[in-house]
Amino acid sequence: MSTINFAAREINFKIVYYGPGLSGKTTNLKMIYERVPGEAKGEMVSLATEDERTLFFDFLPLDLGTVNGFKTRFHLYTVPGQVFYNSSRKLILRGVDGVVFVADSAPSRLRANAESLRNLRENLLEHDLRLSEIPYVLQINKRDLDDALPVEMIRQVLDPTGTVPAFEAVASRFEGVFEPLKGVSRMVLEKLAQKT
Amino acid sequence: MLEPSVDLYGAAHERVREHLSDLLDRAKARYALVVDRKGFVLLHARAVWAPAPPSLDSLATLVASNHSANAAIAKLFGDDGFREIVQQGADVGTYVEELGPDALLLAVFDGKTTLGKVKVHAARAAVEIRSELAALRESDAPAPTFDASWSESTEKLLDGLFGPRDS
Repeated sequence: MSTINFAAREINFKIVYYGPGLSGKTTNLKMIYERVPGEAKGEMVSLATEDERTLFFDFLPLDLGTVNGFKTRFHLYTVPGQVFYNSSRKLILRGVDGVVFVADSAPSRLRANAESLRNLRENLLEHDLRLSEIPYVLQINKRDLDDALPVEMIRQVLDPTGTVPAFEAVASRFEGVFEPLKGVSRMVLEKLAQKT
Repeated sequence: MLEPSVDLYGAAHERVREHLSDLLDRAKARYALVVDRKGFVLLHARAVWAPAPPSLDSLATLVASNHSANAAIAKLFGDDGFREIVQQGADVGTYVEELGPDALLLAVFDGKTTLGKVKVHAARAAVEIRSELAALRESDAPAPTFDASWSESTEKLLDGLFGPRDS
């Protein structure tokens, strides 16, 4: 749920990057941090292990700008993708407004993608949320792999109805990084406008 | 499920600000913050003598996440949560009190005071702020309106930050 702070004239949204381990969630945030102008971003915080695997979360605050006197801000989070960090993933989903699901194009990770999406649905239910009710986009990452699965095959597994906006990406080269974030941000803002 | 939540506004906001200032004065703490449990800063106060604080966004996010993680640890042992969360370093310490279901009170202090003093005054402030937040939950919050011009403006800002629609 978005937080509207009338006293500070701020609207705050929480967007979570979800997906299997090593799919590129942290890479997305690092690229966003590198490419967004200094005045629009805050400090990036990473709670990671010594080998740079996400332990709890990465965090990056972004300022979209001021509209009708309200500063509009997005707090971006990643979750740890490794299976055994599920408790952390549940905590990060608290109060989520939008989700970018980062899928891995490697054939060996197709099942991990599907399991991570199932895990996302289960963890959202613990917060009384359903994925179908939340602004949600799919980023199909690592399209530069020689053996990358066809996009249609990945979508067939993750979004068989073809209703979720999907974006191809090579996050490590900053390709397809802003597009899913912009897409989910627009959906979150539209949802707020519809509700008020 | 996406609903706006309005936590602090109007006269209650000013009263909570006074409680935070009072806490700083009495406890000789550096900073006092009301943070929602999702990690957003709702209100903050700084002692006049205190150095500039670190990024409040980072601080609020880490405090809220840490509180959630501690609650999960307590649940492993069948408890609802830890009544108080204290962290003390060589120079700086933090003390966190729950403010009902949605918010937390954070006091940051240093060697100018003692943990006991901070705990006593933070607990007193927390009682008052809990009462303010509970009253707000019972009242009708202001209803923000986001019309077509708001949507157009946000679309332009998104284009400005992330590039135009078809780029």
